[in-house]
Amino acid sequence: MTHTTRRELMALMTGALAGSALSGNAFAQGTPKKGGTLRISAPANPSSLDPATGGAGSDHAFLFTMYDTLTEWDFETLKPKPGLAESWKFTDPNTLVLNIRAGITFHDGTPLDAEAVKFNLERNKSDPKSNIKADLGSMASVEVTGPMQVTLKLSTPDAALPGILSDRAGMMVSPTALKAASAGNLNRTPVGAGAYSFVSWADGEKIVIKRNEKYWKPNRPYPDGIEFSIIPELTTGARSVTAGQNDLIYQLPPRQKAIMDRVPSVKVFNGPTLYVFQIFLNWAKPPFDNIKVRQAFNFAVDREAFVKAALAGLAEPAYMNLPKAHWAYDKSVAALYPYDPDKAKKLLAEAGFKEGTVIEIGGYNDQDSVQRQEILIEMFRKAGMNVKFVNAPIAEASASFFGPEKRNSGLLAAWTGRPDPSLTYSLMFTKDAYYNGGRAPVPPELEAAIKESRASEDIETRAKAFATVQRLVMENAFVLPLAFQFELVAMNKKVQGYRPNLLGKPKYDDVWLES
Amino acid sequence: MARRSPARVIGGRLLQALPVILLATFMVFALLKLVPGDIAVTLAGDNATDSRIAEIRTLYGLDRPFLVQYGAWLGHVVQGDLSQSLLTGEKVATSIGRAFPNTLLIVAIALVLALLTGIPMGVVAAIKPNGWVDKTVSMIASLGVAIPGFWLAMILVAEISLKLNWLPATGAKSFSVSPIDAIRHALLPGIAIAAYGMAEVARQLRGSLLEVLSSQYVRTLHAKGLSMSRILWQHGLKNVSVNLFTIISLLVNRMLAATVVIEAVFAIPGLGSLIVRGAIQRDFPIVQGVVFAMVIVVITVNLIADLLCAAVDPRIEQ
Repeated sequence: MTHTTRRELMALMTGALAGSALSGNAFAQGTPKKGGTLRISAPANPSSLDPATGGAGSDHAFLFTMYDTLTEWDFETLKPKPGLAESWKFTDPNTLVLNIRAGITFHDGTPLDAEAVKFNLERNKSDPKSNIKADLGSMASVEVTGPMQVTLKLSTPDAALPGILSDRAGMMVSPTALKAASAGNLNRTPVGAGAYSFVSWADGEKIVIKRNEKYWKPNRPYPDGIEFSIIPELTTGARSVTAGQNDLIYQLPPRQKAIMDRVPSVKVFNGPTLYVFQIFLNWAKPPFDNIKVRQAFNFAVDREAFVKAALAGLAEPAYMNLPKAHWAYDKSVAALYPYDPDKAKKLLAEAGFKEGTVIEIGGYNDQDSVQRQEILIEMFRKAGMNVKFVNAPIAEASASFFGPEKRNSGLLAAWTGRPDPSLTYSLMFTKDAYYNGGRAPVPPELEAAIKESRASEDIETRAKAFATVQRLVMENAFVLPLAFQFELVAMNKKVQGYRPNLLGKPKYDDVWLES
Repeated sequence: MARRSPARVIGGRLLQALPVILLATFMVFALLKLVPGDIAVTLAGDNATDSRIAEIRTLYGLDRPFLVQYGAWLGHVVQGDLSQSLLTGEKVATSIGRAFPNTLLIVAIALVLALLTGIPMGVVAAIKPNGWVDKTVSMIASLGVAIPGFWLAMILVAEISLKLNWLPATGAKSFSVSPIDAIRHALLPGIAIAAYGMAEVARQLRGSLLEVLSSQYVRTLHAKGLSMSRILWQHGLKNVSVNLFTIISLLVNRMLAATVVIEAVFAIPGLGSLIVRGAIQRDFPIVQGVVFAMVIVVITVNLIADLLCAAVDPRIEQ
């Protein structure tokens, strides 16, 4: 009890500090004004600028600027809120009605009406190159029920849809541009209805966008445009900001905080996100086919110490797959695995696990990953487990763990957030999910609970359903969550109005530049 | 001994280059396919499923036999088409066309700097072997070989860009738009790579120059009363120029390879960054395209070096 109270208090204090820092800035810096070019150092070349055909989670930082979504999320809790759809309603559990905001056009002048929304949703659901077919899996058909109204007929009740429509599946693409595109996609020629319109993209080098003068949100966006320089080496990207060649860099590793704090021209923002470091476990193969070994694994890690040592304190210890700020967080589940090496030893003995047996866990070979591994090895050793990390580059390590090869018994990696938590669970903890490395069955009550979490649209009911899901996942110890990494964004002091969000994928809605 | 015309030499060399290009691209392709990790997973996106990944393989022809895929790539190349990135759809030729000048500029600057510093160092060291000048040169040369380029690069950025603010810390500018700006951006990476080159040129030049200067005909020249500088410039350097051309060609190849790391440090969108991105994402058309371009550059550089060597030394049989 004291444990929880202390952590909550700390969270409150951090929140209060961040809040005062933000409001302090707002008062000191006056009112937002238009103009200037925001220069951003981005860590990855997008996989595509068409929301339907792209694949990487890092794409959103570009996509959100050019495409508006049917729904949006609250920055602090990720609760869905109106976007291009000014309202929505489940008229019955299998029918979702969306009312589209009037008077919005795409960058090419095409009106964004019910027909355009229908066109997009159908394309996302059935185009062979669409990567988001599964996101709209519950949608049976779309009907235009008014000039500005579409009705989605669902095959099963799906309360996750409003959240899902705040992501790729809800990004609206100009039907005119798409029909004219020879390749049937807008990979390189994006046309949306977002705050900025596309100017140019040189692969691995630069993306340039300019203000959409007809944007529907009043006075937004403030900057004339954004220039993204793609700099995969984050230390280099950070230097480009300290040297004044760029204004802002996001997704910095925690160790950069101390460095950036010393630069007088730069300010640093951080806040919790859904990005969680975790060890994926293959519960189809020894030793993790034994629930007691999995539980012992969870008891063996001192997450508070891990956050301090491996992440410079810029993280929240993770006892489940949702952080405290999320609307579906459940306090009682978070209490399941306090740090208890003796309990871990006892469980291992009960499981008949021979002390000192080597457990091979896959991992990545970059500097930060290896540092995290070293800290974990020591914690596991204290609990009588001899963990060995087998490292490889990201693509190789994850393909050999999740793919057909089934190498290693676990994988130290991370899970990026999804707009609706039901996606997180169904993508990892159902039998045929790709991120269930062993493709081993899960208890039927877990599958049922995941389904249940999408049945009601009432957020309290859903939170309860997620508590059940989360409890079953953690009681079965199907995963070892470690820590939610904070978003770390460093920017030039003339950049104003930036707000971190819980998803951890930056949006620049209120950003403006001081001259 | 009848000498063949340069045109025939070049023609013959280009014929020899074909198997090299085939072998190099084939081996790289094979390596990319052997290593676990598959672009289909990347293409399938964050919410991948097994069936979707299988679908993607069919959609992009990644399920075809290995040789068929290589053959298809080669077929396009023969028609002058390096195909396009599987991920972003950008033409590989476009990517290379944009990246290549950035890399070339760094290598050119590095080479010029290496020669401007390395040649005088080698010469002064060879004039009085084992004197204090020679020892100092040896020490600097050892440092140049031993210091890793990426470390030097970071020190240069910290001191010259961040502290003194003389040169930009990251990025590249197009030479055709603003040559001065382009050179300013390429200067630090050029210096970082040049350090090794300078050391290599100085050491090799000293060695071969010493050999020439201790030969009998130089003794004869001394006996004839020729001044040291005339011996050095007219006979010594002409004789070591063959070695110099060979060193330069090796250096260019090595510097090209060094750009892979240096471009990451300076965030320069050159060939090095391009091939790294392609390899990490298993986007094989990019990797194949860059390897293809690099092989052609290496073959061309070697050919030019050989022709130059033959021009100054008639004994070299082509």
